[in-house]
Amino acid sequence: MVQNQVVRFASSVLTLGEMEARKIRHDSTELWMRAIQPALWLTVFGTILGAIRGLAPSGYTYTQYIAPGVLAQSVLFVAIFYGILIVWERDFGLLTKLLSTPSPRSSIIVGKALAAGVRGIFQGIVIVALALILGINLRFDILDVLGVLVVAVLFAMCFASLSMILASLLKTRDRMMGIGQAITMPLFFASNAIYPISLMPKALQYIALGNPMTYVVDAMRAMLLTGNYSGLPTDIFALLISTTIMIVIASLTLKRLIE
Amino acid sequence: MLVREAEMEKARNVPKAISVKNLTKIYGNGFKAVDDISFEVNEGEIFGLLGPNGAGKTTTIKILTTMIKQTSGSAEVAGRNVNANPKEVRQVVSYVPQAISVDGDLSAYENLLVFGKLFYVNRSDLNSRIESALEYMGLSERKDDLAKHFSGGMMRRLEIAQALVNRPKVMILDEPSLGLDPSSKKQIVDYIKKVNKEFQTTVLITTHDMMEADELCDKIAIMNAGRISIIGAPQELKKSVGGDVITITLSKGSSVTQVLGISIPLILGNIASNDGSTLKIVCENGEHAIPRLLEYFEKNSLSADAISLSKPTLDDAFMKYAKASLDSSRDYGDTRATRRSFARRSG
Ligand SMILES: Nc1ncnc2c1ncn2[C@@H]1O[C@H](COP(=O)(O)OP(=O)(O)O)[C@@H](O)[C@H]1O
Ligand SMILES: [Mg+2]
Repeated sequence: MVQNQVVRFASSVLTLGEMEARKIRHDSTELWMRAIQPALWLTVFGTILGAIRGLAPSGYTYTQYIAPGVLAQSVLFVAIFYGILIVWERDFGLLTKLLSTPSPRSSIIVGKALAAGVRGIFQGIVIVALALILGINLRFDILDVLGVLVVAVLFAMCFASLSMILASLLKTRDRMMGIGQAITMPLFFASNAIYPISLMPKALQYIALGNPMTYVVDAMRAMLLTGNYSGLPTDIFALLISTTIMIVIASLTLKRLIE
Repeated sequence: MLVREAEMEKARNVPKAISVKNLTKIYGNGFKAVDDISFEVNEGEIFGLLGPNGAGKTTTIKILTTMIKQTSGSAEVAGRNVNANPKEVRQVVSYVPQAISVDGDLSAYENLLVFGKLFYVNRSDLNSRIESALEYMGLSERKDDLAKHFSGGMMRRLEIAQALVNRPKVMILDEPSLGLDPSSKKQIVDYIKKVNKEFQTTVLITTHDMMEADELCDKIAIMNAGRISIIGAPQELKKSVGGDVITITLSKGSSVTQVLGISIPLILGNIASNDGSTLKIVCENGEHAIPRLLEYFEKNSLSADAISLSKPTLDDAFMKYAKASLDSSRDYGDTRATRRSFARRSG
């Protein structure tokens, strides 16, 4: 009985993930549009700031240094976008319809988070390919790239859930657009994505340490750049904890969205 | 009277697909959207919940589909309590929400596929069920097209196809014809009838289109401001508004004094107005009364120039009961009086 419920839960979650993959197959324009900004970060921003010494650890160019951060950022955008999407789906009857199935509510939330994860994976692949095209020297080892994609999925799930929590509090598309704009940049800047934490003012350093994005960037950097996996367990653990917490809260607040 | 009681006895024994008792919903902001309503829907019936915008129809449906919780009262769907067994309720109910709920970025087939999977339909049956539901709703040829390219009527049909994948005992549709052109409307009505007939699916539908309700529903509840003011078959509701009106214009030659002085036997109806040449007669069954009235006039050496019959519409019933429920104290007495008169008429 319990086993049956676990199977059903997993099946519902995977169904929503599968549907997202099908949507990407029907139309992948958005994926390519979302590659434009990272391309600018890597080419324009990376090259110009690369002139400043001391931003990147010795032995690496600045563009190499920020590539994992830029990847993480583009996954973050996708994830935050999911909260807006769910308000959209609520405004049409789609969310109501999903919730009117016998699938548990929490499986719908996890499934939606996984859908964001699926987009995150494809976004990750696009950025890795972009780095390859731009000739940025990363460790394009297959296992490392897979590892990066796993982290991208978890990260997308974490922030898609956060975004859904915000959606259930704010309830309207306009407000979600606003908050989406308002939080992505601070999350990005208050992390180690484009400069080391040690260069930040003290107060910001604490914030950066509480920012899940820091752990994501750290993990991605370890796999794509340094090959030093010593921080990886901490990174993954921190990410798993934040993702779980976000998913639980999102499942609890979801009903506010349909009331 | 006896017949009526036997009928009522029978009705009591028919299994109930939906049973709502003293249901009330007060939203977080203190607004009472549903105010102590009760009704029952028999298995296999098409039940219409009618009312203007804001009547509380969607709120009622959301409680029945376990989307939201009621403040008080109880509701059972297909024998399952919505609070005790929400998942079981959702397993046997298909819900077509008021807002269009297809995923435009997926194909018609995929839209059904998601729901088949979320309803845990057996993998071995899934494909055939999807194909037959699409076929049934006339969408087979467009099954690989993205739903966003569909017309409003096709989207509604796709939603009904979606609802069929799960082979529901009860189908709940919230204003399915809203915003559709007349021919798509007609099509949706026909499909709903067909589903109801062929699969014995109980249907609960909300609408504010009286014509549609009249054509589709076996039973109707008129709702306004959170309350149900009357429940009955469309025929009964129409009768309760006051019966048929026959307008007879007597031939020019008739003497005005004779016309003004005329009276007709009670079984033929009542004269509501008489201006000396035109009579308005209210009666129960106009078609039946017309030949008899003509015969009666002839006997009294009067002849008619023109005659017309107008029957009450569900609109009239709606206006009467939707308005009546705004004045709650009077409405209760009114409703009871109407019920008594139903009993008398059918007895
Ligand atoms: N979440 C909500 N919070 C507060 N009031 C609501 C909410 N949803 C609906 N209402 C109010 O409840 C009343 C009934 O709404 P609804 O059930 O949607 O009516 P209908 O479907 O008959 O048009 C309306 O006045 C509406 O404004
Ligand atoms: Mg409504």
